[in-house]
Amino acid sequence: MSAMTEHTLAAPAVTRLLPKPGTLLVGLVVIGVAVVAASSAPRVLASLLTQSVIVAFLALGVGLLIRISGLVSFGHAAPFGLGAYGAAWALSPAAPIAPEIGLLLIAPAIGAAFFLIGLVVSRIEGIAFGMLTLALGQSVHVAANKFRTLSGGSDGLIVDVPRRLWGFRTEALQTASGMLIVAVAALMAVLLALAVFERTRAGRLAVAIRENEERVRFLGYRTRAPKAVVLALSAAIPALGGVLFTLYQGFVSPEILTWGFSGQALIMAILGGSVALWGPIAGALAFFVLREELGGLTSHWLAILGTTLIVVTVTWPTGLAGAFGALGRRLTGTVAKGDPA
Amino acid sequence: MSAIFRCEGLGKQYGGVVALQGVDLELEVGKVHGLIGPNGAGKSTFIDVASGRTAGFGRVHFQGRDITAVAPGERRRMGVSRSFQRTSIFPALTIRDQLDLAAHGAGGGDVEALAAMLGLDRVLDRRAEEVSYGQQRLVDLALALVGAPKVLLLDEPAAGLSVAESEVLATHLEEISAQWNVAVLLVEHDMDVVFRICHVLTVLASGRFLVSGPPSEVRTDPAVIRAYFGSTA
Amino acid sequence: MLINALNGLVYGSLLFVLSAGLVLVYGLRRVVNFAHGALYMLGAYIGWSVATLYGFAAGVVAAGVALAAVGVVLDLVLFRRLAGRQPLITVIVTFGVLLILEDVVRSVWGTGNRALDPPAALDGVVEIFGAPFPVYRLFIVAASAAMAGGLAAWLRWGRTGLFVRAASHDASVAAMCGVRTAAIGPMVVGLGAAFAGLSGIVAAPFLSIHPSMGSEILVLSFVVSVIGGLGSFAGAFVAAMLLGQVQSFGTVLLPELAALLPFLLMAGVLIFRPQGIAGTKG
Repeated sequence: MSAMTEHTLAAPAVTRLLPKPGTLLVGLVVIGVAVVAASSAPRVLASLLTQSVIVAFLALGVGLLIRISGLVSFGHAAPFGLGAYGAAWALSPAAPIAPEIGLLLIAPAIGAAFFLIGLVVSRIEGIAFGMLTLALGQSVHVAANKFRTLSGGSDGLIVDVPRRLWGFRTEALQTASGMLIVAVAALMAVLLALAVFERTRAGRLAVAIRENEERVRFLGYRTRAPKAVVLALSAAIPALGGVLFTLYQGFVSPEILTWGFSGQALIMAILGGSVALWGPIAGALAFFVLREELGGLTSHWLAILGTTLIVVTVTWPTGLAGAFGALGRRLTGTVAKGDPA
Repeated sequence: MSAIFRCEGLGKQYGGVVALQGVDLELEVGKVHGLIGPNGAGKSTFIDVASGRTAGFGRVHFQGRDITAVAPGERRRMGVSRSFQRTSIFPALTIRDQLDLAAHGAGGGDVEALAAMLGLDRVLDRRAEEVSYGQQRLVDLALALVGAPKVLLLDEPAAGLSVAESEVLATHLEEISAQWNVAVLLVEHDMDVVFRICHVLTVLASGRFLVSGPPSEVRTDPAVIRAYFGSTA
Repeated sequence: MLINALNGLVYGSLLFVLSAGLVLVYGLRRVVNFAHGALYMLGAYIGWSVATLYGFAAGVVAAGVALAAVGVVLDLVLFRRLAGRQPLITVIVTFGVLLILEDVVRSVWGTGNRALDPPAALDGVVEIFGAPFPVYRLFIVAASAAMAGGLAAWLRWGRTGLFVRAASHDASVAAMCGVRTAAIGPMVVGLGAAFAGLSGIVAAPFLSIHPSMGSEILVLSFVVSVIGGLGSFAGAFVAAMLLGQVQSFGTVLLPELAALLPFLLMAGVLIFRPQGIAGTKG
């Protein structure tokens, strides 16, 4: 272990930021598996996987906020839903700019908006933050229902996806198998970007602020902007998922803005765990598989979900990612501090 | 030589309780100024007010400039740094990463050399929560030392250390004050450390200034013996 | 205008009684109970079932007693064990409780709307300021005032109440008196849940009974407790009354924005006074 870190230290700065080659390989393998699954899986399974991968963007955003800032959000359906509505507006004939440009601007714009929100709410922490996000999410939900001319109200908007975008035919995006490949590739790209971010000084500063904000201030930093950057990232990623959602479904409605949806994303993030970046993605997959399996078996899906959530939170707070890590260490015979006994 | 860091009339009230009242103190480059006194004398309150951690009364000057209203982060970039009595570090970060952050925040500093000097070089790539308590105390100190500040406010750096560890710490502090052109304020309970490395001592009792002077004089001052040594003997 | 103010008072009283339960539990256990809205809903459904068989008064008693029991169980099984854990964990656990209670309600009573008529004695209208006003709404104000008064008296003069008040003022008091907290916990959480259940059944003839009534009102009771300052009864009272008026006048004056106003109010308070109207720092 120490020999390896000494080695990476000697290497140039850029390669220090990149994840280990093995990690990159896993990402490529996941994309490969997605391609195979997309071409060979039965339609029901492909559709389930596609749904879960798109929602995984939301879970990843929620999980990132827990992982880096230690903050719990009950309102992240808002950036996801705004991304989806944004895509619908960008694709509407009335849009002032070309859809190819509009679609690319959505996630950065929502990220920027949340950066500003982050600057304003930087003093709010813990429980109050959770309640604030709940209110924020609810107000977006209410607004989507009220402002019918923009959002179509509770009926939602039907989106006419152009036949070609960026010179590619878009039919495939509206099939489960086509979207699966695109969404998984995008998700892996986001994961890679996050892994790099966490290794930059800004990423480490964000973790340091979560651990001990006072000392960070005594080390010569202002803490407001770094906290807002994490909130912005945690919103831009769901926004990207929202864009994919619209391209895939061709339809948006306030359903994806409810706080129940935010809560589901939180459950996925907790279930998956935040000790690894990919935890929430695993949580999203597990959530959809569980719902599919249990939803057919019993009508008490909600109660089972609630019980699972309580048991996981209380007895295994590191979630699937923690369990997987512990298993990996057991197999390789190393022991790490902090594993639940 | 004139004072680089000057505190005038520092005070603090908690509710109706006066924790610190009108204490003056000056720090000079190259000197270690010890601040001692029995429990509850107001030593930690003094360092908290002087460093801008808590708001209180009085003025703080650094290099002739009034920095009373300057935020802690800005003070650190100017060269006024402090350590914490209750270890204030980043458990989940490696020691290298947190020292690197501290160096960047202070505007530069040689992390490797500092770690080598404090004997932290062998644990640089361990997370802070994985190393011993004594090493965590050194990390807290190192976070304050990175970037060679001009003024160091140290809040009981030897708290919780073994006798051997305290001796090593005292040696480091002696070296630093001699070689770095730094003015040090040392709040400390460990009298062996205090009398070994301090050039000047100020004694507080019940939140008030009691006496100040060279350690040899303070040691024999009857008022100090009554207020301090008398109470522990 | 005066009728609007009166309607705001009705809604505000209901919100206060509900939020008082939330504040009570937060004060002692430092748990923000996301299941509080579900408890309110459960109270409405249980009360409805009993009221349709044995009359409204029996329904009210049943809702109070049943929910007090649920609260005691919740504290003994979950909240007590979570004392001292990260707020993150307790919040998520209560969210799990919310899901379970919603499942219970859906399984037992289905997903349709239920309506409950006010008892005959409280049915009808009176004339106030020259306009007809339902008697039942006046009953809501009276019932809320009675509950709030009872709670205030208990907090002021009761031995246990005094301790709860001290504990909600300063968490370290609760920590120092650990042994007593252990005995008091189930009682306080039971009382908080009973308040949720009672406000549920009292609200039932005024608002309708449906499976999402809990989550709708939960969000509003959060708004109340955040604006008021977490853990403060006086703050919650002011905030609930304020919100009642905002809702009542908002619907009339700004129908497009009415539903948004509570959240705008809450965001504003959090930004400019994060500790709320009556909260203390930290």
